[in-house]
Amino acid sequence: MNNHTLIFTLISVVLTIIVYMGASKLSRVVRSPFTTPILTTTILMIAILQFSGISFDEYAPAKDWITSLLGPATVALGVPLYKNKDIIKEKLMPAALGLIIGTLATIVSAVWLSKAFHLSETIQAASAVKAVTTPVAIETVMIIGGDPTLAAAFVIASGIFGAVFAPAILTLVKISDPFSRGLSVGTVSHGIGTSQVMAEGPIQGAVSSVAMGTAAIITPVVLPLLYRFL
Amino acid sequence: MKSGLLFFAQLFLLWAIYQVSSYIVSFFDLALPASVLGMILLYVLLSNGIVKLQYIEKAASFLLKHLSLFFVPFAVGLMDYGGLIQTSGLQLIAMIAGSTVIGLLITGGLTQFLSTKKTAKEKIHHEQPHSHFHSH
Repeated sequence: MNNHTLIFTLISVVLTIIVYMGASKLSRVVRSPFTTPILTTTILMIAILQFSGISFDEYAPAKDWITSLLGPATVALGVPLYKNKDIIKEKLMPAALGLIIGTLATIVSAVWLSKAFHLSETIQAASAVKAVTTPVAIETVMIIGGDPTLAAAFVIASGIFGAVFAPAILTLVKISDPFSRGLSVGTVSHGIGTSQVMAEGPIQGAVSSVAMGTAAIITPVVLPLLYRFL
Repeated sequence: MKSGLLFFAQLFLLWAIYQVSSYIVSFFDLALPASVLGMILLYVLLSNGIVKLQYIEKAASFLLKHLSLFFVPFAVGLMDYGGLIQTSGLQLIAMIAGSTVIGLLITGGLTQFLSTKKTAKEKIHHEQPHSHFHSH
C-alpha cells in the first residue's frame, strides 16, 4: 500500500466514523425509525461516494479496517448473554419453538414471495438465506445453488429493514415482552437488528444475539432439505 | 493513560478469543461463523470464571455500543446493486419486507404467547419492572 492509498483509506475511515457519529446524534434528537443510524449513515456514505466518483472497490480498504472490529464486537455479545443467562434458561422452550418456527416461516415466505413476484431462480435461492448472518448465508446459499454476492446484499437489506422497522412493528402488534422482541429481531435480522435492539435494552440485546447465533446454526442444517420442497 | 492501556488490553483479549475461534472453525471446518463461536466461547469462559467480567467489560460495552458502525461498510456495498434495484427493486423490497415481517410476527408472537402462558400457569412473575403486557 503506497502513501497515497494509505492517506485515502485513512480519510475514508475517518469520514465513515464522522458520518456515523453525526447519524447517532441525529437518532437521539429525532427519534424515528427513519433516523436509525445504520440507515442514515449508509445513505449518506453512498451519496458521498457516488458524488465524488469513488467506487466501492476503492472504498474497500477502509471497509476492511472498519469491519476488522466486527469479529471482536460479535464476541463481545457473550457479555449480555452471560448477564441474562437466567432469563434465557427460564424461557428456553418458548424461545426454541418461536425461533425454529419463525426461521422456517422466514425462509418459506421469502422463497414463495420471490416466486409470486416472478423473480429469477438465483434470486429465489438467495432470498432463502437472507435472515441469517453474512458468513453463514454465503456458505449456505452455495449449497442450494445461489449467488453468494447477491445473498450478502439481501442479508444486509434484511438487516437494515429489521433494524429500522422491527421495533415499531412489534410495538404496533403489542409484542411488548422484551424477551420476545429481542428473540424475533435476532431471528429475522441477525447482527444489524441486534445492534439496534441493543439500544432498547440489555435483555433484548442478549436474546437477539442468542437468536442470531441459533438461526445461524439451524439454517444451514434445514435449508438444503427444505429448499427442495419449495 | 492507564485506563487507555486497560482498554486496549481488554480489546486484545476479545480479539484473541475471536482469533482462537477462527482457528477452531477452519480446523474443524465448521459451518458456523467464527464470531458466533467466539460469542459462545466467551460465554463459557465467563461462566467458568476463567474470564472475569471486569477483564473485558469496558471494551465490550464500547464495541457493543457502536456495533452498527461495523456493519456500515457492508451496507455501503449495496451501491453496486443499482442495476438490479432499477429493474426489480419494488419486487425485491416487497419480498424482503414481507418475509421479514412474517418471520418477525411469527417468532415474536409465538414466543410471547408461549412464555406468558407459562408464566401465568406457574404463577411466577419475573417481569421486568418497565415492561407491561397488554392483555389480549
